[in-house]
Order: sequence, then structure tokens, then C-alpha cells
Amino acid sequence: MRRREFLTTTSALMGGTLLYGVTGPALAQAEPVRGGTLIWGHSETTQNLDMHQTGTASTGRVLQNVHDSIVTVDKDLNVIPNLAESFEQSEDGLTYTFRLRSDVMFHNGEKMTSADVKYSFERCANPDTGAVNFEVFNAVESIETPDDLTVIVTLGEVNAPFLSRLAENGAGVVMPEGSGEEQGNAPVGCGPFRFVRREFGNEVELERFDDYWGGPAYLDKVIAREITEPTVRLTGLRTGELHMINDIPADRIAEIEADGDLQVVSWFPLNWDFVNFNHDFEPFQNPKVREAFDYMIDKEVLLEGALWGQGATTASPSYPTSASYKEELGQRPQDFEKAKALLAEAGYGPNELSVVFKVTTNYPYHVESAQIMLEWFRMAGVDASIEQLTWSDWLSQVWVDKDFQISMMNFFTLWEPDFLYYSLWNTEGAFNYRKISNAQIDELTAKARVTVDPAERAAIYKDVQQVIHDETLDVILWFRNGTIGAQPSVQGLDTIVHPNGSNLQFHKVWLAES
Amino acid sequence: MKVPAAFRSAKGIVGALVVLTVLAVAILAPLLIPADWATRMDMRARLAPPSWAHPLGTDQLGRDLLFRVLLGAQTSIFIAVAAVMMSIVIGLPLGLISGYVGRTTDNVLMRLVDTLLSFPALLLALTISAVLGPNLQNTIIAIGIAFTPFLARIIRGEALRVAQMPYVEAARTAGNSDWRLITLHVLPNIMPAVIVQATISLAFAILAEAGLSFLGLGTQPPDASWGLMIQASRDYLDRAPWTALVPGAAVAMTVLGLNMFGDALRDALDPRARGEA
Amino acid sequence: MSYLLNRLFSMVLTLFLISAITFAVTNILPGDVAMMIMGTQSNPEALAGLRESLGLNDPLLVQYGRWIGGMLTGDWGTSLVFKEPIAPLLLQKMTASGLLVLFSMTIALTCAIPLGVWAAVHANRWQDTAASSTAMLGVSLPDFFWGIMLILLFARGLGWLPSSGFVDPADDFGGAVRHALLPSLALGLGLMAHLTRMTRATMTGILNQEFIRVARAKGLNESTVVWRYGLANAVGPVMTVAGLQIGYLFGSIIVIESLFNYTGMGWLTYQALLNRDIPLIQASVFVIAAVVMLSNLIVDLLYAVVDPRIRLS
Repeated sequence: MRRREFLTTTSALMGGTLLYGVTGPALAQAEPVRGGTLIWGHSETTQNLDMHQTGTASTGRVLQNVHDSIVTVDKDLNVIPNLAESFEQSEDGLTYTFRLRSDVMFHNGEKMTSADVKYSFERCANPDTGAVNFEVFNAVESIETPDDLTVIVTLGEVNAPFLSRLAENGAGVVMPEGSGEEQGNAPVGCGPFRFVRREFGNEVELERFDDYWGGPAYLDKVIAREITEPTVRLTGLRTGELHMINDIPADRIAEIEADGDLQVVSWFPLNWDFVNFNHDFEPFQNPKVREAFDYMIDKEVLLEGALWGQGATTASPSYPTSASYKEELGQRPQDFEKAKALLAEAGYGPNELSVVFKVTTNYPYHVESAQIMLEWFRMAGVDASIEQLTWSDWLSQVWVDKDFQISMMNFFTLWEPDFLYYSLWNTEGAFNYRKISNAQIDELTAKARVTVDPAERAAIYKDVQQVIHDETLDVILWFRNGTIGAQPSVQGLDTIVHPNGSNLQFHKVWLAES
Repeated sequence: MKVPAAFRSAKGIVGALVVLTVLAVAILAPLLIPADWATRMDMRARLAPPSWAHPLGTDQLGRDLLFRVLLGAQTSIFIAVAAVMMSIVIGLPLGLISGYVGRTTDNVLMRLVDTLLSFPALLLALTISAVLGPNLQNTIIAIGIAFTPFLARIIRGEALRVAQMPYVEAARTAGNSDWRLITLHVLPNIMPAVIVQATISLAFAILAEAGLSFLGLGTQPPDASWGLMIQASRDYLDRAPWTALVPGAAVAMTVLGLNMFGDALRDALDPRARGEA
Repeated sequence: MSYLLNRLFSMVLTLFLISAITFAVTNILPGDVAMMIMGTQSNPEALAGLRESLGLNDPLLVQYGRWIGGMLTGDWGTSLVFKEPIAPLLLQKMTASGLLVLFSMTIALTCAIPLGVWAAVHANRWQDTAASSTAMLGVSLPDFFWGIMLILLFARGLGWLPSSGFVDPADDFGGAVRHALLPSLALGLGLMAHLTRMTRATMTGILNQEFIRVARAKGLNESTVVWRYGLANAVGPVMTVAGLQIGYLFGSIIVIESLFNYTGMGWLTYQALLNRDIPLIQASVFVIAAVVMLSNLIVDLLYAVVDPRIRLS
């Protein structure tokens, strides 16, 4: 990763996990003022609004303002109190005791109690709910509520990542008891904003919740207009129809930064991308073939081509400032001779290997990436073609049926190393759609789960990364930058990005009178 | 057949010239230009305006738009021609049987055709493409099926008209078999109408391919097709308008040529309908 | 009367056929709705549960019966992805698209008729050539290309009109009109070109007829001849053709609404297709086909009222 270069190009400030930068003309107004409706041009369409069931980053990004989780993370990804004002773990690592805050109100006017926490956790754990993160609670044996403000969770076996997994709303969210049925259409939580309405595919309206335990937000309302077309979003910002947009089109960032009338927030990373091999596809069973493909890809040029350089290449998918990030792991350079030689060793002469690259139109830069890589594959004597898939087709063909040869994907918010490495690379992992089965990785990821010491855990995950790289299980490409463009009147932008790099929080954002 | 009469009007000549030029490009470009010139990228010349090095500019990956538009002709034209041929192959027997046999067969077939006509062609093509999965072959099938009802309807009307003509009646009384009647008398007489409709359908097929590719359900990258090129230009419009104008002009020219030729053809074959679209 | 009954009966039959075709085609769509709802971060157990609860494991005929039964009793089901009842959703989106269709039709007709008449009056002179060539160019470009050009000119260049979004007329009528204007224009331009050609052709035919020559011979003012006698006879056929173009418009809105982020029927149908939201695809495809069929029927009936000869055939 070229962190230095990133810093110089965006003049970012370093702040914990997120390398965070705000440029442009903020109006000089020191004291926050209350009031106003902020109109946000959101890059994606929100889907199922049930926080337990939704797996999409877009929905989580909006619901971050409606919900709160029992614990959360600071900028350095340390787990810190949130709805629980304190928590402790027993010596044997099997019992977690949460002391809840006494001043938390739900949007429906009820006070939050331990019963709501028990309800929420059990709802998430119940397979009938269809919760994305239900496996977080797999090791849970009992949830007890001795009084209104105490929750005791007992595990059957040690699960080192348990607490940090609760720091994401997907698993750690607290909903009012019995509200499960409504959540999909009208989410109720205890966050700084109350959900007012959603017109599907058009906009979501949020309204300030005055009884928020963390103190009321400044904005009266936030309206998230869902505008998926990047240039249309940018036009809206320029004409003043929108106060802010997320995800500035990559090729326009430099231009917007140079624009004296707009602010740009950029941070790093928003997500990371990798190229996938199907380990069941005969040629890719041979590590030499996978390595050969790695040698065909010039990661820097690809980043420039697909994302106009808006990101930083990396061989490690761990969050760049987290303990498990293996900085010394380098990417393989582009070397066609080596690639051809490796293919020949594996028994494939020029034009004897032919592959289909399945790529989803849901991420247009993936389609661009595939087109660029295709040229390189052809130059290395591989006959390759692209199949563009809609998001649903990609999910069913690649993710579920594992019917593909090469593909590409990205992941948001996977900062928790167990979630990341176990899910993606363990043979049993929930996200192991490449049919990877590597004994070393299985052993290491299982061991990390029961390793309580943080330094020891981090070291294990670094070993995992080494295996992923040595065996070329996937080709890790880069971390992609996140960006927000805003009018000068939008203040408090230094607080808007959640430490997970994907969610946006409007609690401390305000509008200056211009 | 009065087809050559179409070449007597200026509209017909210009139209025919344009269509021939596009056909020549579609056939010759792939023979004269190496295929990879349409996909060759230059990261230092992305979205470059027209220049000596790139007479029509480059796209977002630095690919030369001149080569892309020339090589793209093949894809767009091939899809259009194949789709129209497919709709003729299905629509011709359907329309002939329906119009010639009449009665229940006609009722049943035309009920089906009318029902299909209630689905907007693009919606039908889009749904079929979504069902089959997007690639070149399925794009042809989707457009071909979507156009079939139109063709069947027109051929049926013509067949009905011709079947009632005195000379067909006479041939029937003379003891000719139905097969003979259809192939020797009905078919040749409806061919002019089929040719006119096919020409106009070609124009629509090119527009339909562009529409499907624009929605991501047509031709697949990195192959160049005009619709796909316009689709890719969407994000770079105000920076690099030529990325949209070049393929747009290619589509416009081709469709215009086909329409003009189709018009002239119709004028020549059916003076009553002069000038109608 | 029997003509009307006959048409009504065949309408019901066609509606039934439309439903059968829609159901058959949508049921061979690949893709997994349950997967789509859960997204990338899902797991097999939860997926299986969801599939079961959505009734995706039932035999096809059972699913068709359930669907038809639901449609007849007004229960159109719930969109799998949007999690909203389908009937009100479609009604809302149909209103949005209805606005577009109405606008584009109005724009097309108000421009096409004078232009076509003008071209016909000056048949084979430069005015005709100019009008006909422009119209020819108009029908030769994809409508989304017109849309792109309109966005460039009116939204980005001049900044007069918004380039995207839909506003409910009930909330803000002015805003609704402003947002509908560019997509309507994009839809209307091609249609206008087509109708101009139609008007010109029809008018040319009429102006060559006997009664026009008689009117001229009687020394009537030329503009009276053209507008009162000529146009009066041309409006019927032109309106008929215009009515039949509603089907074409409902095809075009899929592309145009996606381009302008105008959240109407076309946008909804496209989203439903992309998301494999089978109940929503079925309902929206069915509704579009039914609306097209009904509008064609109305055009036919109006024509039959105007021209009684039609009833005989």
C-alpha cells in the first residue's frame, strides 16, 4: 500500500483506522446551530430495512442513524461502551456481563431494558429470522436478565471475536421487544434519528429524535435521495439541489477538490476488492496457474484504470491500521514471461487455456477492471471472455451455485479479523464461495477463534495472510477510497464517517446559515 | 417485383448508398482491422478529444473510438440482421398459414399474436434477455422473438388478400395442391411486403440492440457494439461528449439509411402508402 | 351492441392469455429471490428458511393458481425486494408514468400536427423536405440518445431543468412538471417525428381528394380549406395512430425512466427484472400489457364510433 502517496495527494489527516481528510471551503462558523433539513444524494438504493436481515452496505449506511448497538468501536477499532455503559468478560472468557445505560429511549417512547436486549439477541440468533449475522450467537448458551439493566450472556465455548462482532449493528443492534415484524418497513430503534418514511428507490426521510440518549442531533431532518447514477448525483450537488453526495465519480474527484465552492471528504478505506478463482475449476486447482494469473495483473495500472487511482493497492485485506495488517506483504509485479512459464509448467501452452470472467454490473468499476484484465490475460496467451451479470445473477451463479471460473468482488465493513478471515477463507466459512480448502488456513482461523490474547491473535491472522498470498488463493487488489462531496454550509463532516468506513452518521452534522 | 423502382427516387438512392456503406464496413472492417485494435487501451490517453492519433477521440479506457465504431458495426449489424431473419423464419409460416387457412387456425394464431402485441417489444425483449442471460446469441433471440408478432400480423394480412385474388382462386379450381398454391402463388406475391417490413424492422432492431445494451442486457464488453458504446459514455458525457456522439451518429446514420430506403421501397411497391412511416 | 360484447369477451380472453404468458415467461427466470433479499452476507440455513416461507418450493401450477386467485381478489402480493404491497405500489408508479405518457403525447401531437400539415401543404417543396428530413432524423435515433442530449443541454448546460428524480404532483405540482419535462421530451421527440410523418402522409392524401378541389374551386380561402376541411378529416386517423403508439411508449419508458431516475412503471419493471422480484415482475408486466391492450381497444372503439363501417368486419 502506498500510504505516503495517498496522504500527499489528498492531504488527509491520519485518524485511527480511517485516513480522513476534509478539503475545501467550510464556512467559518464555530458554534453548531440547530435546525435545517439536509438533503443527501445517496449512491445506492436501500433495500430490506430490517437491520438483522439486511446484508447490503447501502441500507446499513442509512440505518446507522436509526439504530444503536450494545457496544461500538472507537477510531482504532477498540470495543467501547455504547448502549451498555460497561461490560466485562469472565476469566474463562465464557461469560459476558453488560450493564445497560438507564437513559436510553426508543423512538416508540419506551425505555430500553435488558428484556429488549435479550429479545434482539434472540431474534438475531433464531434461524427463522434470516439474520445475516446469526452465527455470531452460535456459541451462546444462555442470555439472562437478572434486573432491568443487566444482561449476562454465557457461551458454551470460547469465542474471541464475540464482543467485537456485537459492535456492528447487524448483530449488536438493540430493538424494542416485539418490534421484529415492523422492522422491515418501519425500523424502530434508539438512534439519533427516527425513521419517518421511505419511498422505495426514491428517498428515505429521517427526523431528529429529541430524546436521544447521546443528546439531540442538530439537524431537523435528513433526506436521503437515492441517485445511483454518479454523474446525475454530481450535477445535483453542483446545482445546489443536494447538500452532499457520497461516492463522487472517481474520475471527477480531482476536479471537485479543485473547485473552490465545494468541500470534499475523503477517507480510506471504504472497502477492498479482490479477484477470485474457482478452486473447483480444474486449471485453478493448480497453484501455479493461480500464481500465473497474479503475475498477469498490474495492480497499480488496474487501480488507475478502474478507479482513476482512487485507492491504494494492498496484498493484505486487514484494515490498514489494525493490528493484523501485514504491511510487509508485497504484491506480485506484472511479469508476462513468468506467467507464461508458470502456465507452461502447469501444462498449458499459449492459447490452450480459456476462461470466462463473470463480473457484476452492480459495481461498474468491476466491469472496467475485467475489461483491462482481459487484455492482459490475452497477452499472456490465455483465451478469455467476459460475462456481465446483474447483481441477482451474480449472487445466484457465483455466490450460491459457485458456477464460475474467475470473478471479482468487494467487501465493506469487514474490519473484524475473524469475520474477515474465517468467513472468507476457512473451508467452512460462510463467504467461501471460491470452494477454497486449505488445511493450514482452517487450522489457523480455528485457533484464532479461541485465542484471547490480542497480540497472539493478530500474529495468527498475519500467518493466514501469508498463506493466502503464497498459495494465491485469491488476488487481493486494493483498498478503495470513500468520498463525500458537500456544500460549504455542511458542518461537522469530520464526524460523519463511522469507523467501519462504510456507514455515515449525522448525529453531529449541522448546517451553517449561508 | 418492383424493387428496382425504389432506386429511382433520391431518397431511395441515398438510403441504399448509406445502407451499402454500413454493410461494407460491417463486413470489411473485421477483415482489414485487427480485432484487438478495438480493445487496445492506453491509460495515458483516456477520454482524449479527437486528434491526429485518434481521429474520433478515445473512451474512458483510452480505446480508439474510430476503430471501436468501425468494428462495432459488425456486432450491431449482425445482431439486427440475424434477429430480423429469425422473426421472418418464425413469422412467415405463421402468417401464411393463418392467412391462407383461415377459420379456427387463423383465430387461434391471431389471438396469440394480438396478445403478444400487447407486450411492448422492448419489454418483451428485455424479459427474454433476462430469462436467457445476456450474450450475443440471446440478444438475437430476444429481439427476434419480440419482432415476430409484428411480422406475422403483416404477412397474415397480405396472405389473406392474395389468397382471395381471382388468379389464386382459378389455380385452386384447376386442382393445384395447397402447398403448390402457397409456394407458387401466394408467397411470391407477399414478398414485396415482407421486404419492406424487413427493412423497417432492421432499423428497429438496431435501435432495440442499442436499448438492450444500454440497460446492460445486450452485447457484452469488451466487444464493441454501438449500444454498448453509448452506454459506457453515460458517465463521461459532459467531460467527453464525443464518446456518446460517435456511436450515436453511427446508429443515426444506419437507421436513417434503412428508413429512407424502406420508405422508397414502400413508395415503389405501394403508391397508396406514400410517405407513411 | 354485439360488436361491443364481442370485443369485451375477447378482451377478457386476451387478459387471461396475457396472464398465462407473463407467468410462464417469468417462471423460467433464473436467479434466486431469496438470495437477492439476503445479499452477500447470508448463509444457507437462513436462505432455505426464507425460500420456504416465500412459497418458492411449491409446484408451478399451485403458484400460478395462487397468483391468479390473488389478482382476482385484489391481493397482488408483496414485492419481495421492496417489501411493499404490490397493488398500491403499481398504482403509484402508474400515475407517475401516466404523467410522462400524457406529457409526451401532448408535446408530440401539438408539434406534429402543425408541422405535418405545413409539410403537406408545401408537398415536395423545400419546406416539405426540411420537415420530412427532420422527422426522419427524429425516428432514427434511439430515444435514450435524445435523453442524453437533453440532459447535456437543459440540465448541465443551461441548468434550467432537473436531470433526475420524480416528484409526486400531489406534493408539489410545479416540481412534478419540472421533473417530468425532460423525460417527456425524450419520449416525445421520436413520437413527434413519427406522427409528423403520419400527418403529412394523411394530409397529402386528403388534399388530393375531390372535396378539397371542390372547396378550392368555390373560392374558399386556402387556410380555411386546409385547416377546416383538410385537418378535420386528418385528425381521426392521426389520433388513431397516436393511440396505437401507447404500446411503443410503454416500451420506451423502461429505458428513459432508468436514464432520468424517474421512478415510474418503467423504472420499477427494470428494477424488478434486475432484482428477480418475481411477483413484482409478473404484476408489472401484466399491468403494462393490459394497459396497452386496453388503450388499443379504446382506440378501436372510438374509431368504430367515428367510422361505422368497421363494425361489419
